[in-house]
Amino acid sequence: MSGKKTQRDAFWDRVFELAREDSDIVLVTADMGAPSLDKFRTGLAAQFINVGIAEQNAIQVATGMAMEGKKPFVYAIAPFITLRCLEQTRVSNSIMDIPITIVGVGAGFGYEDSGPTHHMLEDIAVMRSMPNIVINSVSDNVMARAVAEESVKSTHTNYVRLDRLPYDDIHSPGESFVDGVGVVREGGDVCVVATGAMVYTALDVAGRLDGRGVSVRVLDLYRLPVNGAKLVELLDGVDKVVTLEEAWLPGGMGSAVLEAFNDLGERKTVRRLGLDHAKGYSYVYGGRGLIHASYGIDVDGVERAVMETLEA
Amino acid sequence: MRGVDYSELRRTAYHLRRDMLEMCAKAGTGHVTSSLSCVEILTALYYGGICRHNPSEPKWPERDRVFLSKGQASPILYVVLADLGYFPKSDLELFAQKDGKMGVHLQKSVPGVEITCGSLGQGFGIAAGTALAAKKNRDLFMSFAILGDGECYEGSVWETAMFAAHNRLNNLVAIVDRNCLCVTDFTESLVGLEPLEEKWAAFGWDVVRVDGHSFEALLDVLEGVRDRRAPRPLAIIADTVKGKGVDFMSNVPLWHGAAPSGDDVEAAREALSGMCEMCDNCVRRDLRNER
Repeated sequence: MSGKKTQRDAFWDRVFELAREDSDIVLVTADMGAPSLDKFRTGLAAQFINVGIAEQNAIQVATGMAMEGKKPFVYAIAPFITLRCLEQTRVSNSIMDIPITIVGVGAGFGYEDSGPTHHMLEDIAVMRSMPNIVINSVSDNVMARAVAEESVKSTHTNYVRLDRLPYDDIHSPGESFVDGVGVVREGGDVCVVATGAMVYTALDVAGRLDGRGVSVRVLDLYRLPVNGAKLVELLDGVDKVVTLEEAWLPGGMGSAVLEAFNDLGERKTVRRLGLDHAKGYSYVYGGRGLIHASYGIDVDGVERAVMETLEA
Repeated sequence: MRGVDYSELRRTAYHLRRDMLEMCAKAGTGHVTSSLSCVEILTALYYGGICRHNPSEPKWPERDRVFLSKGQASPILYVVLADLGYFPKSDLELFAQKDGKMGVHLQKSVPGVEITCGSLGQGFGIAAGTALAAKKNRDLFMSFAILGDGECYEGSVWETAMFAAHNRLNNLVAIVDRNCLCVTDFTESLVGLEPLEEKWAAFGWDVVRVDGHSFEALLDVLEGVRDRRAPRPLAIIADTVKGKGVDFMSNVPLWHGAAPSGDDVEAAREALSGMCEMCDNCVRRDLRNER
């Protein structure tokens, strides 16, 4: 890994700063370690609760603490803190609407060489199916810090999906993230709506196609439920849309975009790029790029798909 | 326990049983036998001077938190809360029916109820979270979690048990309604739960095993919960009978989740009447009718 800061560290560093000023902020971790968490463990020990490898209990304890006025952040590897304890989240945080912040690290193929148990390919579909839960699909460290701040104030449960790998920032310090979707590159021929780490792929593709005389607008869709009205507004003048995500296609971000278009009576040509069930789970090793290529969502594959959409 | 009128508690338990039976019979649903097994547990907590609570202020910050983790026993808790004045008794008449405010499983929106519950193994963990928060906030309330014994099959129960002991949550009390029955069979035939005391003890809890239908035995343990010096949480294994008070429904696996209907209703009433020391027209009932 490079010396760049990860979203995880950007996020937890900001939570730590907030927690120093607010003793109600507590971190409930399921045996996760990181330098940014060590600061919590040693500097704010009374606000650091390690439940061990017990995600179901983590959600329950956090919920109980939230009922008593605490502002809990629950943290584990993304598939474990979403799927392992899904029913706890459903009852406590969706049905009962007790607000906590669920933080999962390793969105998509972030744990690239760890195999499919650690790949997080279902969280958007699963978490967005429940009321009272907002998904924050974080794309960079600027956003990670902003989401940390918003999570403390939230009256509903936030699910924060963080990437594991470090990336350059896309967004500018001080940028507002109230809209749930934003333009990260202007363009007029076609639009790629991406989420999480795939925003970088979209930007790479846009850069390449620029050289071929194709102008690609890139949107970062970072929050679900989708802000349909804003999405449509930002797509003004573009009729061809490619959605791009590192997740199974059924129920994912692309599906959510289609639902929003349908509900708003918006007619666009939409191509969804993501993971096809027919390809199954990935046992490809050697890096995220190779995994993406195997599903056709690497830069080459996306470039091809965007051109096909444009020419269709 | 000093100052406790055990006869009065037994009369109260009878009337709670009776009201619960009528409520479920009218609705044609409700977990009657699960409710019958924990009547004395709830009566001891709410009428035996154990639980600090305030019906006129259900969210009173200093109240003890009672989590009916076996949320299928909601009928008996609803009857208790209505009897105590948390909401009008007339609300019970629409239990699990059109325009009703409460259904078969426990619902947080009902005044006096802490959680929505029905999926097992969850209320207990939330109770532990409240107990930990109380320690952090220096609050003095107790958290009581009432678990079914069948609920103890859930792995999350043991995640919480480990956690609570490690965090020295001696303000947390787990009362296990040990009625030995699940839906389809007796626990020891399904997957043996015994030795249950040793299991809880091995997880770091103080454990007491009592007759869960004896107010003397329950209150003997419960009266001391606030003054325990041990840092460990307390598990009370309460040996009970699923369907207690109605012989033909007791210890019969397939009575789980069912309410009596037809002639069984009168038979159940008749069976229950044997539990009331002063029978139908007792002083308490007369007083209540005058309110």
